Amino acid sequence: MDKLASLLHTTPAIAWMVAKLVIVFGGVFSLAALWTWVERRGAAMIQDRIGPNRAALFGKIKIIGLAQPLADGIKFFFKEDLVPHDANKGLFWLAPFLALVPALMGFAVIPFGRSFVSGGHEYHMALLDPGNGMGLLYPLAIGGMAVYGVLVAAWSSNNKWAILGGMRSSATMVSYEIGMSLAVVTIFMTAGGYDPSEVIKAQGHLPWAWNIVRQPLGFIVFFTCMFAETNRLPFDFAEGESEIVAGFNTEYGSMKFSLLALSEYCHLMTASALIATLYFGGWQVPFMQNPPVMLSVASFLVKMLFFAWVFVWIRWTLPRFRYDQLMHLGWKAMLPMSMVNLVFHAWRMSQGH
Amino acid sequence: MGVVVKKVELSWLDRTYVWPVMKGMGITLRHFFRQLFTPTAKRYTIQYPDMKKEMPEGYRGLHELKRFEDGAIKCVACFMCQEACPARCISIEAEEFSDLNITQGFEEKRPAKFSIDMLRCIYCGMCEEACPKDAIWLRKDYEVAAYDRLAMQYGKWDLMNTYAKADGKELISEDPTPSVPRRTIAM
Ligand code: SF4
Ligand code: SF4
Repeated sequence: MDKLASLLHTTPAIAWMVAKLVIVFGGVFSLAALWTWVERRGAAMIQDRIGPNRAALFGKIKIIGLAQPLADGIKFFFKEDLVPHDANKGLFWLAPFLALVPALMGFAVIPFGRSFVSGGHEYHMALLDPGNGMGLLYPLAIGGMAVYGVLVAAWSSNNKWAILGGMRSSATMVSYEIGMSLAVVTIFMTAGGYDPSEVIKAQGHLPWAWNIVRQPLGFIVFFTCMFAETNRLPFDFAEGESEIVAGFNTEYGSMKFSLLALSEYCHLMTASALIATLYFGGWQVPFMQNPPVMLSVASFLVKMLFFAWVFVWIRWTLPRFRYDQLMHLGWKAMLPMSMVNLVFHAWRMSQGH
Repeated sequence: MGVVVKKVELSWLDRTYVWPVMKGMGITLRHFFRQLFTPTAKRYTIQYPDMKKEMPEGYRGLHELKRFEDGAIKCVACFMCQEACPARCISIEAEEFSDLNITQGFEEKRPAKFSIDMLRCIYCGMCEEACPKDAIWLRKDYEVAAYDRLAMQYGKWDLMNTYAKADGKELISEDPTPSVPRRTIAM
């Protein structure tokens, strides 16, 4: 890293920052694109179909359809970009970015590997160094911003169905945010801090000391709320072909639509990274005190991708909720459960455990 | 009399919602892995241009006009198929011809033109049923498509050649001169 920095006439800190930026955002973005393919292929396999396997590079190299996201991207780029006549043009253009940017930004504080020291500098494997004062409150706050992407997209397109979809999904997101925050607060409480590195350190390297074992109830609440946050089935109330045409993105086409779709997958990636960090020990390798840096990154990636797969898996297993059932679940099940979880752990801590 | 609808009583385990979800996920995962490890040839999906379905016996696909060993057409232009066709897509023009050297008074009949409009044909198989000579068959080829309408008008020679390649026969484009009489008539 020192050599690279001197080559570029910058300090190691800046070089490392740039490298991290490219790796994290590029990585999350391309993983999200890849996940559109994983989603379709996984759905097909679950339903005993085959899925997209024909897109080929240069018409020859098929590699089980992995070129599909590329083909989709090219297709979306060259489609006509329509803006409805009565739409609010500025907001209509802004909405896809409002959806995409928070989805990507949430990833910034999550450590994806063990910090290491080289050449007198300490390098952290997270975009924002630990101790930045925001900690895990930041992805939660940014996650709250995601409502704007959906709502602005819905509102600006001046379409009744879109507005209905946007309203429904923003109501879902807001009501599930409370249960989710309480579940996270419990973790902050037991870990004694809200910095992701502290949360990870508090969990240690032994799988039975991870938060999933210590707070299973909190995990269930958080996991469920993440589905509502990412707007995915069984809680995908922003969309609904049978009820409100396409939902909040009814009027969107071409690249703007694909940005909205991609933002959902970026959200999914951030959500699975959060789950891995909060409940599954982040980059900790099971039964290994100080794992090599690359191994810790691999461990984190495996956990994250596993949860990203679980998102896909659940989507193609569960039927959708009805709207009132969703609200019922959010307010009458998730919220009390997370409160019970919070109070129980507070009581345990007061007993000196 | 009303029907008493019995409500299914859920056990407490099913009421938690978590357990049924896990069961469901188990089922989908089983499907996923089964499909993943099934070789392509054994999957339910037939990937069409690369793989083709073997049609069952009795499938009614593209027609073939049958021929004798020497290549002469079996059809005697009796118009039965044209009459039977509900889509009215067969049109035949008959002609006389002499079979071998016994020409005097032994004129035979055959179609000079025999055409089927494949765009109108509904593949009902009525023509096959009606034919007294077993001269027209509906066989297993289902890939009947063309870039223009004219190409879908199958003429006599098209119909005689439809399955020539599949059967390893040669393509013919004119009526042969038979070497032996197909029918011996006692005078
Ligand atoms: S299959 Fe039916 S519709 Fe087609 S030519 Fe024969 S009788 Fe007519
Ligand atoms: S019914 Fe048979 S023999 Fe008669 S015209 Fe049709 S194909 Fe020829």
